[in-house]
Amino acid sequence: MQRVDTTQLLKGVLDLAVLAVLKDEDGYGYDILRRLREAGLEEVGDASVYGTLRRLFAAGLLTAYVVPSESGPHRKYYALNAAGRDQLVRSGKTWRSFATTMDALLDDRGMAA
Amino acid sequence: MTVTGQEIADYVDRVRAALADLPPAVRDELTEDLPEHLAEVAAETDGTLVDRLGTPEAYAAELRTAAGADGGGQPSPGRRFAATRARIAAALRGLDTRLGPLLGYATASAFLRPLRPAWWLVRGWLAALLVSAALGEPSGLLPRLSGSVLAGLFLLAGTLLASVWLGRHSVDLRGWPRRLLRLGTAALLLFALAALVNVDQHASSDEFAPYQGVSVGNPYDSIEDVFVYDEEGRLVHNARLFDQNGVPIRLGYPTCADSSQYPPRNVYPYCPDRAPFAPRPSAPTPVPPQPTAAPASPAPSASPTPSTEPTVTPTVSSPPGAPEPSDPGPTPTR
Repeated sequence: MQRVDTTQLLKGVLDLAVLAVLKDEDGYGYDILRRLREAGLEEVGDASVYGTLRRLFAAGLLTAYVVPSESGPHRKYYALNAAGRDQLVRSGKTWRSFATTMDALLDDRGMAA
Repeated sequence: MTVTGQEIADYVDRVRAALADLPPAVRDELTEDLPEHLAEVAAETDGTLVDRLGTPEAYAAELRTAAGADGGGQPSPGRRFAATRARIAAALRGLDTRLGPLLGYATASAFLRPLRPAWWLVRGWLAALLVSAALGEPSGLLPRLSGSVLAGLFLLAGTLLASVWLGRHSVDLRGWPRRLLRLGTAALLLFALAALVNVDQHASSDEFAPYQGVSVGNPYDSIEDVFVYDEEGRLVHNARLFDQNGVPIRLGYPTCADSSQYPPRNVYPYCPDRAPFAPRPSAPTPVPPQPTAAPASPAPSASPTPSTEPTVTPTVSSPPGAPEPSDPGPTPTR
């Protein structure tokens, strides 16, 4: 069996993670990447985050706007729209439930957290 | 900051090339933020972009997967063509960067970009020539309209203004107008090449230089024919002139109305009928009368010499009235 590492797990939950870090504050690509890293997702890839942002935007879960920057290039900010918030809530619940199930499964077999 | 703008541009190009099989709109959308992102990455980290992000191809693959833009299955021939085109474009951009320093610029295109208005002028000029040629006007390097250079100059001014205007506005062209412009440019360049070859051929042929070999200001320019008289004042036929090296002296040209028989060049006179002094009958007389028939004797020897033999110069051996065109003449001494 293939070794399960963080990168593989991330693939499944990156959408949720991105939606989550945008919940309270809009952000641009690199900004979002930084928030994810600061939250502990060190191994998240730049391209993965950008690709995810594109996909969520294309799926209609995000809105985007360009902000001119005084220092440096213009930045494309992403924000959650109603559909995105809805998706965040549902995915969040799914994850919680999934994580709880996994925790219980491991607890039952005496695995340390 | 160790990462240059050029490195960022190269990285972007390679990522785009790796995504070339995607529809252009999707690819543009995926890589829209990439330069800005790379600039931020470069500002925060030491080392190259590849150290930090992996190869552009790996980055592109990750981007593609995350965005769910796999394109779906086999790439169509069109996509493959697009991929090839993008690879060629990336290679050209690499060449652009490498050639730049030779010209003293960052890139060759940086050198060429300020020259764009010059190209607009050349394009206007070529367009005027093309219009002129299309109307069947004989044009050299200036356009002509119904044979008038002035009208041609008005045409030239018009096309120049139009070309400059087009140059200033063509950057916004998209889609088929842009393609049309490129097609027109290609046609114009093809025409320019043809016109250049044409002018070049004319320049090297006699058509533009009909008086080849005649020096300007030569005191012998006005000479049309040469009449040689012997000591006795008789016109010498078929005289040949040579210089000290045995090189034939070419003077004048046959202008006789009766040019049924062309005398060989370098055999004088071309037109014996036009002799300035009345020629004697061709019947040779051993003892000619005093040269009173001739108004003047061009020969310097005015003194009555007892010589009865009509010896002229050593180079002219044909007696009057007996042309010997096949006479090879004296052999040059050197």
